[in-house]
Amino acid sequence: MAIGLFGAFVFALFGYVYWSTASYVRSRLDSVISAEWKSLQKIYDASGREGLAKSIQARISDEHSQDSLYLLTTPSYAFIVGNLKVWPPSLVGSDGWQNFQVQEWRPGASGPPMLRATVGRLSNGDHLLVGKDINDLDLFARNIKTALGWGVALIFVLAVAAAVSVTRRTVGRIESINATSRAIMQGGPDKRIPIRGTGDEWDRVAENLNSMLDRIEILMREVRQVSDNVAHDLRTPLSRLRGRLEKAYHRARDSHEDQTLIGDAIANLDSVLSIFSSITRIAQIEAKAQKIGFRAVNITETLNDVVELYDAAAEERGMHLSFIGNERIFVTCDRDLIFDAVANLVDNAIKYGHEGGHVVVEVAESADGVAFITVADDGPGIPAAEHQNVFKRFYRLEPSRHAAGNGLGLSLVAAVANLHGTRIEVVDNRPGLKVRLLFPPKLTMAA
Amino acid sequence: MRTGHRQILVVEDDQETAGQLADSLTLNGYQVNLAASGSDALALGLSTDYAVITMDRMLPDTDGIAVMQNLRERGVGTPVLIISALGEIDDRVRGLRAGGDDYLTKPFSFLELLARVEALARRSDTVIKETVLRVGDLELDLMSRTAKRRGRHVSLLPREFQLLEYLVRNEGRVVSRAMLLQRVWDLHFDPTTNIIDVYVGRVRRKVDDSQAYPLIHTVRGVGYCLRVPS
Repeated sequence: MAIGLFGAFVFALFGYVYWSTASYVRSRLDSVISAEWKSLQKIYDASGREGLAKSIQARISDEHSQDSLYLLTTPSYAFIVGNLKVWPPSLVGSDGWQNFQVQEWRPGASGPPMLRATVGRLSNGDHLLVGKDINDLDLFARNIKTALGWGVALIFVLAVAAAVSVTRRTVGRIESINATSRAIMQGGPDKRIPIRGTGDEWDRVAENLNSMLDRIEILMREVRQVSDNVAHDLRTPLSRLRGRLEKAYHRARDSHEDQTLIGDAIANLDSVLSIFSSITRIAQIEAKAQKIGFRAVNITETLNDVVELYDAAAEERGMHLSFIGNERIFVTCDRDLIFDAVANLVDNAIKYGHEGGHVVVEVAESADGVAFITVADDGPGIPAAEHQNVFKRFYRLEPSRHAAGNGLGLSLVAAVANLHGTRIEVVDNRPGLKVRLLFPPKLTMAA
Repeated sequence: MRTGHRQILVVEDDQETAGQLADSLTLNGYQVNLAASGSDALALGLSTDYAVITMDRMLPDTDGIAVMQNLRERGVGTPVLIISALGEIDDRVRGLRAGGDDYLTKPFSFLELLARVEALARRSDTVIKETVLRVGDLELDLMSRTAKRRGRHVSLLPREFQLLEYLVRNEGRVVSRAMLLQRVWDLHFDPTTNIIDVYVGRVRRKVDDSQAYPLIHTVRGVGYCLRVPS
């Protein structure tokens, strides 16, 4: 299909080149003949039949015009002067442009040559024929045809060669991608598509597929890590629960002791259930159909509530919790989720801060109209290398591995931020940690 | 003892859960009818005037919320407590409170369920219209939003006043932590921390410290109860 189209195009192009070249040469020839005829007519008008005959004689003997035809005859076609001896019988009685063949012209040639001439009558009735041998023109046209023919052939050969090489290269690259895919399906995601280093589109495809595989590998590792952590975090309360129930089962009945044991068992069960509800809650937020439950919320008021709720907790730990935020700032969001997310940040800040420390919650609007929430503490902070990890599910810094909490709080913050299109910035507060949630401009509204 | 009728319809398709619910409600002085499907629930709900209906959301034949709407369309105004499985709190469930109904997520403690049922049952027979609420020597002025104990001003933040008002309005009844979070803060999730306890602790210090008797009592495993000690 493509080859056929390409061929037709090449043929059309070459045909046009041939046709325009040939017609140009012909029209040049015609204008030369026509100019010659006119100049002879002028000579005739100036110096009569005698003068014209002399001029023609002179031109015939000029060796540069060996391919030119001249013939002057009387009104009854009797020869006067010229290099044609006889008025061609086919031209008797006709005027204007003529193509004809005369055997006697150029006797050595094989077959009668093609001639082109213009024929006209002078004022005394004499006939004047001026023409050219156009055999050379035909030859020229044939040469062009041959050259063009070779050109077409060459182009086809090159096109076929290029097509074959491109196809073979393409098939080769596709085959290497296929081979890698098969290897990954049979083995594991550690294989990568080879890159040839030519920087072409195929290398780019391979690079993109490889980075996609890198991402998949990371995600798979995280999922595995999460299920390991779930197992670990659930096993602790569950084995305690089992231990307590076993103890209660084997000991002599004692209603007071039993009550304590059962109460503790319920507490263990509750902590298991709370891990489950946190996981499902995060999953629900992540799967939430966008923006359901979103409405205009005065977040200054919401954050004030969070701060007020946690004020007592901070006081209990001997910490100072303060709030900065005066103007009303409206954001399109889910109030419950924003409350929960900020509450988690404040809870962490209080939990990990030191006695007498400060936690500052701030809500403000930047000059370019972006609302942001900041929760800052002056506690021990987090090493910069860990800043992005803390939002992973069940991720806990080693020192806090056995502290209260299930390591899901910041994952919830991340899920809420993600749902709102909010950017999370974690920076060193020197000392302490500062977490900032930046709302996208479209969610922030003029108060 | 509580006034009003004490008949409750429990709609639950799991037999064991239904039995446990019926036992614990009976133990607390309610008469319990059971329905195991949406159609049974509709028939019973239309023929009997209940104080409260507890409705499991996932029924074999329909969604509990649909049964509830059906009852409402036929003029049954009984408060409904929708019980939904873990992790299916959607906006329909959240919207229940606006209509005077309530919801609870599985698994729940029976004490929590009782507290909810008590609150719903009371709402169906009394509406308080006073502007000053009194319990013992505590006085809440709902207009000026101020509290006095033995005639002396108790300084409270706005949310603290709201919390105290809610406890006073439910005098003698158990109020769970989740109920406080819902009614006072309008939040619909379970905090995994003890933050409510810490908060109530501070309100309690403001209200009860150096007084003749305490008003706010902790109910182990559920929440709080405001009452004058007998």
